[in-house]
Amino acid sequence: MIFRPNPSLGVPIYLQLMEQVKHAIETGALRPGDQLPGIRPLAEELVINPNTVAKAYRELEHDGVIELRHGAGAFVSGQAARSKKTADSVRTAQPIVAAAIQRLRERGLTDEEIRRLFEAELAGLTKAGGRGV
Amino acid sequence: MLWHKAWLETRGRFFAGLALSLIVGFGVIYDFRATERLLPLVRSMDPAALDTTGPIGGAIKEAIAAQQTFRGFVWWQWYRQNLTYLVVIFGALLGAGGLLAKSGGATLFTLSLPVSRHRLIGTRAAIGLAELLAIAVVPSLVLPLLAPSIGQSYSVIDVVVHGACMFIVGSVFFSLAALLSNDYADMWRPVLIACIVAAVLGMLEYIPAIAPFGIFHTMNGETYYRQAGLPWIGLLVSAGISAALLRTAAVNLAHRDF
Amino acid sequence: MSESLAIETVDLRKRFDATDALRGLNLRVPQGSIFGFLGRNGAGKTTTIKILLGMARPTAGQARVLGLPADDATASVTIRTRTGFVDENKNLYDYMTVEEIIRFTAAFYPGWRHDLEKRYLRSFALPLHQKTNALSLGMRSKLSLLLALCRGVELLVLDEPTSGLDPAASEEVLQAIVTHVSTEQLTVFFSTHHLADVDQIADHIAIIDAGRTIVSGALDDLRGQYRRVQLVFNGEAPDITFHAPGVIRVRRQGRVLTALSNAGGDALIEEAMRFGPVSADVLPVTLKEIFLESVAVED
Repeated sequence: MIFRPNPSLGVPIYLQLMEQVKHAIETGALRPGDQLPGIRPLAEELVINPNTVAKAYRELEHDGVIELRHGAGAFVSGQAARSKKTADSVRTAQPIVAAAIQRLRERGLTDEEIRRLFEAELAGLTKAGGRGV
Repeated sequence: MLWHKAWLETRGRFFAGLALSLIVGFGVIYDFRATERLLPLVRSMDPAALDTTGPIGGAIKEAIAAQQTFRGFVWWQWYRQNLTYLVVIFGALLGAGGLLAKSGGATLFTLSLPVSRHRLIGTRAAIGLAELLAIAVVPSLVLPLLAPSIGQSYSVIDVVVHGACMFIVGSVFFSLAALLSNDYADMWRPVLIACIVAAVLGMLEYIPAIAPFGIFHTMNGETYYRQAGLPWIGLLVSAGISAALLRTAAVNLAHRDF
Repeated sequence: MSESLAIETVDLRKRFDATDALRGLNLRVPQGSIFGFLGRNGAGKTTTIKILLGMARPTAGQARVLGLPADDATASVTIRTRTGFVDENKNLYDYMTVEEIIRFTAAFYPGWRHDLEKRYLRSFALPLHQKTNALSLGMRSKLSLLLALCRGVELLVLDEPTSGLDPAASEEVLQAIVTHVSTEQLTVFFSTHHLADVDQIADHIAIIDAGRTIVSGALDDLRGQYRRVQLVFNGEAPDITFHAPGVIRVRRQGRVLTALSNAGGDALIEEAMRFGPVSADVLPVTLKEIFLESVAVED
């Protein structure tokens, strides 16, 4: 499993890990019942604080995305099966995003500008009082 | 382990002092042989008839009188001069460098160990003083050992008693150098200052009024040599001064910020 | 004063002759945390560390390490039986070899971890019979870390553990720390200029400047609270005085107004919308920006 949080982003590492796990489930790279790496080995491999990994796993369990089985480890929960539909929609959405990015690049925008545009747009949805799913 | 560390940090100076003293000690034995050949000449000269007045003349008379015998020769050359210089210099050398030895800038490492400063300081002081005692006594053992080879003898008791006097007074310079090392980062200035102090004290002893109270008068054990008992007062005062200097150095270090 | 804090200072002050190195420093280091201690050169980091370890005495205020008073000579010895230390310059006894200094240090700690000693000797590839003064800075740093880790202690105090190290050596040091924390009951308190190290492994931080704490808290909380709000206007950016709490800095440059807040960006956006900006962005703030803004404000 390839998790690559970027510590310098200003975004908490545990949030990045959570996003990366969710993304892996949505694209089908992680399936229900699959085991995630242990907290200590993952922390040692990524050279990050083990408390951070623990926090990410706790929050994922709270969100119902994974199950922490005492003594056995962390596993992708069966509820993730619900998002099989989401996995398909995410998979079909990817070419749309890829095409949009390609068009914006052709207009001369840098990747950084493109990222900001997307984030601003999403933040704009939050401002309007609703959080899109 | 602290003892081992203190030993590692001082053994260079110790061995140098020991070796130098042994060499000079050897020299004393064989010097006497040369002097012996002059003795008949000297004995035939009546010291009273020497036309000498004044301090230099008096010193020459004394020197001749003393060196008539092997015991006197040893006292005049070895204790009064050579070993005194060696013990003062190596006393200062062993005390210099600080009781919380700089150890190549690793003072903070030492201070991070779970030992009190008093223990660190005490260990270093004890090792240094033990080494000084060895220098004050061991090379002199050459004398009773090798005296027979030139047809003379020298008492081991004399070695021990003189050694004790040498050590106790020498420790004053050890403690002085240790105290000075609290304020000087290098080793040479404390040694230099201690030697200058020694030189000044030595020169003061040429004044007849001061001579019997002089520190070196105690150090070379003149009263003992002249069979007039040990210089107890001088030894007590020296020990007291040495202890006071050492305690000041230790208290100063114990409260210092690093 | 609670026991669940590995280190605690209250209004700590230190005066050297004419300089006030510490002017009322407050620090709370939770047990089990990896705590990054940040500040400019001369801000007072090393002075604080020296006081914690009994190498210097405070002028006023209190410092407690593992629940014990740091300025009491006897308590300080106890503190040091339970604390490992690595100093800024990684100076060790130059006349001892690697093996000798390990044996020397081990003699003071009945709980010395021989298993960890073997492991770190191997993974750090330290040459046993070389004198410490013949080692590179990277090697000396790793040796110093080994000497601290193998003591079997519950607190590590590290002064600039990765300074002067190349990225590979630096990562080795961080990895040893992280591995040690994940397998032992350990608090790590380290001062550094390498913000990337803090980003990577710290869960709590304190930023100090001119002898006082400016920012402190859980790193994730700070990352959640600090936001940069960037507003672009059609004409010259208006001079907005924000009433929302937590605004640290407002800058206007032409048509752009940037505001830094440590209480989130939503309240500022609401206020700013009244002025009709063309675009409004809420951006995360990096630790570097938090650091630079915090110490700059003090000027």
